[in-house]
Amino acid sequence: MTIPKKLLLSATAILFAVSIGSISAQQYVTKKPAASDWSALANLPDFNGVWERGGAAPRGNAGQAPNAAAPRGGAAPAAGAPRGGAAPAAGAARGGAPATGGQAATAPAAAQRGAGGRGGRGGGMQLNPEYEAKSRAYQASAPEDNTTANCLPPGMPGIMTQPYPMEFLLTPGKVTIVIEAYTQVRHIYTDGRKLPEDPDPKFFGTSVGHWEGDTLVAESIGFSPSIRLAPGVAPSDKMRIVERFRLADPDNMTIETTITDPVVLAAPYTTSSNLRRHREWTIEEYICEENNRNSVDSSGKAGIDLTPPGTNSSK
Amino acid sequence: MTNLNRALLSSIAALALLAATAGIAAAHHSFVAFNMNEEKTVTGTVNKVEWTNPHIWIWIDVPDGKGGNANYGFEGMSPNFLERRNWTRATLKVGDKITVSYRPLRSGENGGMFMTGKMETGKILTMQGGREGE
Repeated sequence: MTIPKKLLLSATAILFAVSIGSISAQQYVTKKPAASDWSALANLPDFNGVWERGGAAPRGNAGQAPNAAAPRGGAAPAAGAPRGGAAPAAGAARGGAPATGGQAATAPAAAQRGAGGRGGRGGGMQLNPEYEAKSRAYQASAPEDNTTANCLPPGMPGIMTQPYPMEFLLTPGKVTIVIEAYTQVRHIYTDGRKLPEDPDPKFFGTSVGHWEGDTLVAESIGFSPSIRLAPGVAPSDKMRIVERFRLADPDNMTIETTITDPVVLAAPYTTSSNLRRHREWTIEEYICEENNRNSVDSSGKAGIDLTPPGTNSSK
Repeated sequence: MTNLNRALLSSIAALALLAATAGIAAAHHSFVAFNMNEEKTVTGTVNKVEWTNPHIWIWIDVPDGKGGNANYGFEGMSPNFLERRNWTRATLKVGDKITVSYRPLRSGENGGMFMTGKMETGKILTMQGGREGE
């Protein structure tokens, strides 16, 4: 049987178009892992597991200490003391957070306020004059709340500094970070693929990683203008974040984060944070929309819904 | 205890609380709805606990002095956060009597941000966990 040449050509053209289409949509075809790829994971540092912010002055313990916050009681001085001692340093890691919480800002800005403390390196973030002015103007008439009140996740880099745990999962060619806060996931490809040349803007950007000895180096580009680099300031499409993850000891991980943005930043900004392992924890569900009574409207005005719950609800 | 000691203790407690709540803001929202410079106390009976994300809500009935009850709502941390600090969804049960210290709503409505709760047994509940009362 003879197939008309013309039909054959058309079919080939269609097949070709389909295959090109699927490749360009996916951009990279993940290889099937061999048994050796799985066993090679055993030689990587022990990142797998649940971690939460806190470091050498561990937040894990600090989490207990605020019992000292109970207004009265003999426990306060004792528990308060270690906290107090840790405060200047931990302030950089944690104390900066509240100020930024209301400003839709993120870790770097927090570190900026806490410059000089643990993790702060080289002082604060330096914005180019235009953006410095923009940030000041924003802060002078800041909205009452930011869109996280509406359950919109903060994106990078703030998502990495939430007071909730994260689980690291190593599989062949990929490091996955499951973030409890807002139920988010980061995908860091370690299979050798390159960063895309023209990535779509995303809250977490697009990430690839590689191992330099025992350090995971993750590079991310292509960030959404919805995220904030400093109060009131979005990153440009030139922002790049490099994170270096390594184990300081078996249960403490250090993340050194360097942000460059030739448009917004006058100089690269580097900060570091610590994660502490919690083998006794599992990642829990966090559906922010489940019962979110907070809100902020488009003019920045905050609201709170005090409608009493239905008394026959089984919640 | 001397006044000085008490003042010192209060300062330490305030600092610790500030540090403790620092992370809370980052988690979800600022404290705009609440007057963080004021603390009020009210005693009532638990009528509902919403053990939900992103925040738990504790609702109590407070006698209004006219034979009825006023409904108060208190925002707390998330179940995730609290379950890692010795709370469970059964820590507070409907019918429990509780005295709540809270940062009141700026709007003047009944309720606010939950700070501590004292149970009839003397047990003290905070957003960082529970302990037996002194």
